[in-house]
Amino acid sequence: MGKIPWKIEPIIRLNDVTIGYKVEEPLVEIPNLEIFPGEIVAIAGPSGVGKSTLLKTIAGLIRPISGSIEVCGKFFPDRPNRGELGYVPQGLGLVRHASVLHNVMLGVDAGHNTPMPFIGGFLPSSFAKKKTSKKKAIQAINSMGLEEKISEPIRRLSGGQQRRVATARTLAQCPKLIMADEFLSELDEKTIDMVLGEVTKYVRSSNAALLVVEHDITRAKMMADRLLVIDDGRINPFIKEPTAMEVKI
Amino acid sequence: MNYLHRISRPSWLGICILIFLFSIIVFNGMINDWGRASQGLGNLITFFNESLWPPDWSVLEPQVYPVCTVYPNFMDFTCSTAWIGMVETIKIAFVSTVFGTILSLPLSLLAARNLNPSWVSYSSRFLLAGFRSLPSLIWAIFFVILVGFGPLAGVLAMTVYTVGYLGKLQYEAIEGMAKIPLDASEAMGLTKFETALKVVIPESANDLISQAIFMFEYNFRHGTVIGIVGAGGIGYYINLYLKFLQYDKVIAYLIIIFVVVLIIDFISIKARSYFTEEIDLPRSTWKSVFLPSFLN
Repeated sequence: MGKIPWKIEPIIRLNDVTIGYKVEEPLVEIPNLEIFPGEIVAIAGPSGVGKSTLLKTIAGLIRPISGSIEVCGKFFPDRPNRGELGYVPQGLGLVRHASVLHNVMLGVDAGHNTPMPFIGGFLPSSFAKKKTSKKKAIQAINSMGLEEKISEPIRRLSGGQQRRVATARTLAQCPKLIMADEFLSELDEKTIDMVLGEVTKYVRSSNAALLVVEHDITRAKMMADRLLVIDDGRINPFIKEPTAMEVKI
Repeated sequence: MNYLHRISRPSWLGICILIFLFSIIVFNGMINDWGRASQGLGNLITFFNESLWPPDWSVLEPQVYPVCTVYPNFMDFTCSTAWIGMVETIKIAFVSTVFGTILSLPLSLLAARNLNPSWVSYSSRFLLAGFRSLPSLIWAIFFVILVGFGPLAGVLAMTVYTVGYLGKLQYEAIEGMAKIPLDASEAMGLTKFETALKVVIPESANDLISQAIFMFEYNFRHGTVIGIVGAGGIGYYINLYLKFLQYDKVIAYLIIIFVVVLIIDFISIKARSYFTEEIDLPRSTWKSVFLPSFLN
C-alpha cells in the first residue's frame, strides 16, 4: 500500500457538536463537518434556525452545548492564533465614530503576529511598520471601491458601504479562515459581483477557507463550492431536488 | 420579575399619597418647636436689610498688599481677592478634571463588565466606590491635614473625587456600547489592551468627552466650597469674611460665584452639545443655549 506523502488538514472540524444558548433548547446538531483550505462553503436556511449562532460558536464567541470544535488547529476553548480568523458579523462590528481607515487598520493590526507595543508605537523604528500597515489598509479599501470614503466616519456611510468596510477589514487581515454572516445583503448586483470577486480571489490565491451564512439560497448556490442547509435542527448537504424548505422560500 | 405594570393607576396615586403623608409624619417628628420656623422669615428680612444688602463690591478692588502693578489701570480688578480666588478655583477645577480623567479612564476600563471578568471589574468598582464615598469637602479636609493649606490640597481632593465619580460615569458609558465590535475584535484575536485603545475608547469617545466637560463644571461648583476648609480658591475668602461677620462682602462673593457658575454652565452645555448629539444634526447655537426655546 502506498504511503500518503501529505494530507490536507481541514481548517474547521466539528465532531458531534450541538449548539444553542441553553442546554435544554439546542438549536442545531452537527454530527460531522469539515471545511478545507481553498473551499467556499455556504450555510443557508430560514431565519431563526441557528445559522448565525453556528458561526458565533465556531468563532469561539459562544460555548457549544457539546462536542468538539477545531478551528485552525486549535480545539475550543483554545482560540486560533492571532489574525487567523476573520469574522464579519451580521451587525458588522465596526467602530461607528471612527474613520474607514481606522476600522480597516484594525484588521491589518490583527494580521500582525504580535500586537504593536503601546510605547513602541511612538518610536521611530515602528514608523516604517506603520507606513506598510497603512498602505495595506488603503489597498484593501480601494479593492472595495471605497477610496473616496477613506476618512469618513462609519456612521456617515450607507448600510452597503459599511458592509464593504467590514469586508475590507477582514481582507486586510489576511486570515486563514473568513466567516461572514450575510455580508452581501444591502448590496446591489454590481457591487455583489465586485465584493464576491475580491473575496473569492483572496480565498483561492491564499488557500484560505470561506464560510458564509446566506439566507438567499440562490445566491448561496451561486457563490459556494458546497452548500449546507440547516433545517429542523440538523445540518445537511443541499440536495438539488426542491426540498420542503426550498418550496417554502 | 417586574410586577410594577400590575399596579393600577388609582393604586399608584394612593401609594404616592401614603408616601407623602409618611414623610410629613417623619418631618413632624424631627421638629420640636414649630415656632422657630415661623420666626424664620422675619429673621431673614432683618438679616438681609442689616447685614447682607447692599453687597460690598470692594471685593473687586485691588488688595492693599501686595501692591498691584497691573497696567492699564482699569485692569487692576485682577489684583482683587474676588478675581484671584475665582481664577484659583477655575485652575483647581481644570487641573483636577484633567488629572482625574486621565486616572479614571484605566480604572473604568477595568471596571466595565463587558471587557473583564467579574473579579477584575468588581475590584475596580470597589476602588472607585471608595473614592466616591466621601464628598470632595471631606477629601479636602483630609488633604489639608496631609499637605497643608492651599490649592495643592484642593487639587488632590478634587482629583480623588473626580476619579471616583467620573470613573462610574465612564464605565457605565463603556458598558452601554454595542457588543458586536467587541465580538469582532475578540474573533480577530486583538488583545484586551488593543480592543480598549482602538475599539472601546473611539466608540465611546463622545460620551467620555461630554462627561469630562460635565465634571469640570461640577468641579468648579464644588471648588468654591472646598476653600472653606483651607483648600484654596474663592471659598477661602468667603470663610474669612464669614468669621469677621462681614456678610455684605460674603454676598458679593456669592453673586460673583453665581454669575461665573452660570457662564461656565452655558459654555459646558454648548461644548457638550458637540459630543452628546448625533453629529449630523444641526448644532445648538449660543442663542439657543442662553434663551428658552420659545424665544429662539
